[in-house]
Amino acid sequence: MELENVYYNKGDFVETASGNKVCRHTVLCGSQNIILHGKAIVQQDAIIRGDLANVRSGRYCIISRGVVLRPPFKKFSKGVAFFPLQIGDHVFFGEGSVVNAAVIGNYVYIGKNCIIGRRCVLKDCCYIADNTVLAPETTVPAFAHVAGSPGAAVAELPECTPDLMTEFTKSFYQHFVPHALC
Amino acid sequence: MENSIKIHQGAVVCTECDLKGDITIGKNTVVHPKAQIIAEAGPIIIGENNLIEEQAAIVNKFPASQESTGNATVMIIGNNNVFEVDCHSEALKIGDQNVLESKCLVGRKVELTNGCIVGAHCRLVSEECLPENTVIYGDNCSRRQQADRPPPQTLQIDFLTKVLPNYHHLYKPNLKD
Amino acid sequence: MAFLMYGDPKVKYLCSCGSMKPISRIYFCRHCMKIKCGFCVSHEVDLHYCSNCLENLPSTEARLKKNRCGYCFDCPSCQISLNTRAVSQAVPNPDDPSKMLSKKSYYLVCAFCRWTSREASIPDQNVANGGWPEIDCPNSKRVAELVDHYQEISLQEKDEEERKKKYQVRPSYFHYAEKYGLSAALAKKRMGGTPQRETRTQQSALVPAVASEEVEELSDSVFIEQLELNKVTTIKQRLASPEIQPTVVSQLYPLHKSLLVKRSLRCRDCEHNVSKPEFNPSSTKFKIQLSAFYHVPDVKFLTCEPVFIGKRSELIITVCNPTQHQSSFKMHPFELNLGAKGSGDAEESAPGLKLCLPECARDAQFKINGTIKLPTTEFQLLPRDDTAEFDDSNKGPTFNDDPKVVVWRRGNKIALRMAVSPDADAEGVLSIGFVIEYSYVNTMTTLEKKEPQKVKLKTHILLRPGPIFKSSQ
Repeated sequence: MELENVYYNKGDFVETASGNKVCRHTVLCGSQNIILHGKAIVQQDAIIRGDLANVRSGRYCIISRGVVLRPPFKKFSKGVAFFPLQIGDHVFFGEGSVVNAAVIGNYVYIGKNCIIGRRCVLKDCCYIADNTVLAPETTVPAFAHVAGSPGAAVAELPECTPDLMTEFTKSFYQHFVPHALC
Repeated sequence: MENSIKIHQGAVVCTECDLKGDITIGKNTVVHPKAQIIAEAGPIIIGENNLIEEQAAIVNKFPASQESTGNATVMIIGNNNVFEVDCHSEALKIGDQNVLESKCLVGRKVELTNGCIVGAHCRLVSEECLPENTVIYGDNCSRRQQADRPPPQTLQIDFLTKVLPNYHHLYKPNLKD
Repeated sequence: MAFLMYGDPKVKYLCSCGSMKPISRIYFCRHCMKIKCGFCVSHEVDLHYCSNCLENLPSTEARLKKNRCGYCFDCPSCQISLNTRAVSQAVPNPDDPSKMLSKKSYYLVCAFCRWTSREASIPDQNVANGGWPEIDCPNSKRVAELVDHYQEISLQEKDEEERKKKYQVRPSYFHYAEKYGLSAALAKKRMGGTPQRETRTQQSALVPAVASEEVEELSDSVFIEQLELNKVTTIKQRLASPEIQPTVVSQLYPLHKSLLVKRSLRCRDCEHNVSKPEFNPSSTKFKIQLSAFYHVPDVKFLTCEPVFIGKRSELIITVCNPTQHQSSFKMHPFELNLGAKGSGDAEESAPGLKLCLPECARDAQFKINGTIKLPTTEFQLLPRDDTAEFDDSNKGPTFNDDPKVVVWRRGNKIALRMAVSPDADAEGVLSIGFVIEYSYVNTMTTLEKKEPQKVKLKTHILLRPGPIFKSSQ
């Protein structure tokens, strides 16, 4: 389905020089540690915890409403540290998802209300269905379609997934336009 | 509703969280921004060393049938509990060392003893008292007993006590030991 | 994006085997110039890998290990990966009893249901990887005997077949051998052959299983003792390890993780590879990737007005040219002959190729219950240009487009407006179709033709815009 334009109030969003569109009603803690590479969209009520550790995301990342991006913590013998959260390009986060992963690859689609456990590693081109719960420290291999609670691979994605996701995220970004009137 | 918030020395409570009603927060408890503690139907007393993450909701409200006619009930939460992101707790009595994982829902009539773990996306709404060390997990809220209690998160709480003041405004503690 | 994975996709392409698939699931064989789907290509296993440690295993090793990873375990309680946790203990130093050494011991724990290896009474290991004791299957000896026995029988049968073949050929050689005096040599060969066959016929003496009607008496404790549901395993947990089939939770043992597979696909007609992945399990690149997404024009819905019986609704679709060459396309009405056995393309498919779906399912898929008014002109599409998003100037060839038909044109995409109307007796979901005839430039050079050749290809497309409503009047 070809996407249609999604309109937003110009006053609600801040557009940066690199093309990031960030809503004002988000909670970006420690914003100096949050790096959005370009053409990212952060929608309302999203929470990105840059105060705990660095959060680095690639281009064309789409963070929907209510998403919580939280760096995971790791216990060492000498204490606890929060690990940086690395996100690749062309990643889509569905509404309400809670992400505690350590590494998210490129071309990943995360559905609505998912819970990605602590220190999970999501490789490139995976698909996390809606309402999935991924247990802590799981590795999701490339081209896996993961569903259920606990999340387990149920199907395989088609080979053209990188291009499908690229097209989807680019198209979503291009169709996310301000109201003509404002 | 009048706000009466008493915070013990050593607790870290960010101002960006939503606190309403008569709330007491114990020593060394960390409340992340965007957490919600709403004491409509009575006071909430939170113990020591608890960890309340963002979007967590601890709500003491009357059940729909008895709106604003019931007596005020006190909600007591023990020590070393963890309320993960976006969990929703209305339980009146929570013991020690429990973990409520992300997006779980615990109803008003449930009583959590010690060492219980309510898994992600699980909903507990029946009237019951969970025995110690119960783990509830999975799509169908399966249960099992675990051998020992979840370890307390003191290391994480120590780290957060050092880091959070650098990035957030905090409520000043107003209760001395 | 979800519509490409889940449920009923709205746009389906007809494959040469007769099934309708969305564009992401079909392949385009450049040698036969045909569309192939997952059902009509042959799948070959390229490599095995573990989904947890992402380690590559060659096929022979995988078969030895019974397609299981040697290092990773699954939780017997919830069937997801187990993690290793370390715990340090203060142990008295063997050299100097008064000093304490901290020794690390490892145990397995499930992060989801919190099952630990200590519950199965497995002692903590000193090494992080491996060293976990294997459980003995109570029937392993009997199973090994049966496997050996049947392997011998299968070897015997293979021998018999070979002998039969040789026997058919031999008479003619014997005749010539007699003529030229080679029979002595042949006789020697046969003498040499027989001892081998004799040893093979010695079978291992297998004690056949004896059926018995006697069953153990049910002990009274079943009726007297209270059942503790917490301690009984579920059927799923029990059948996850069929060798031991534990009935009590304390008998649950961690299972080795199953391996996943990377496949390469091969067209059945021309035996060329259609998809070949790389050896690295984490890589998303392919050595050969001939998805139809890159070669066949992609038709997508833009909007569709609600469909009422007796009324015409407007449908806007987009067609996108994914190739690097300028292409043109034209639309024809859907011309599938449903009466013939096996869809209209049966004469084109290879003989002996079984069409995968039963006839009733195929007919149901092709049920067209509406008409679509197709534009008659041929449309040109620009080639795909990845730099177009950075190029702000709108320089490009202009086309004379009929504004009633073409809604907009952007780069390699065009949006077309069409009118659809359902049949009078239609109900359910509206299904309409058309044939798209597009020009394709075959950039493959063969021995006969050195230059890229331009061909015209046809594909049937089925559209499902939405449900049909009864007239609002």
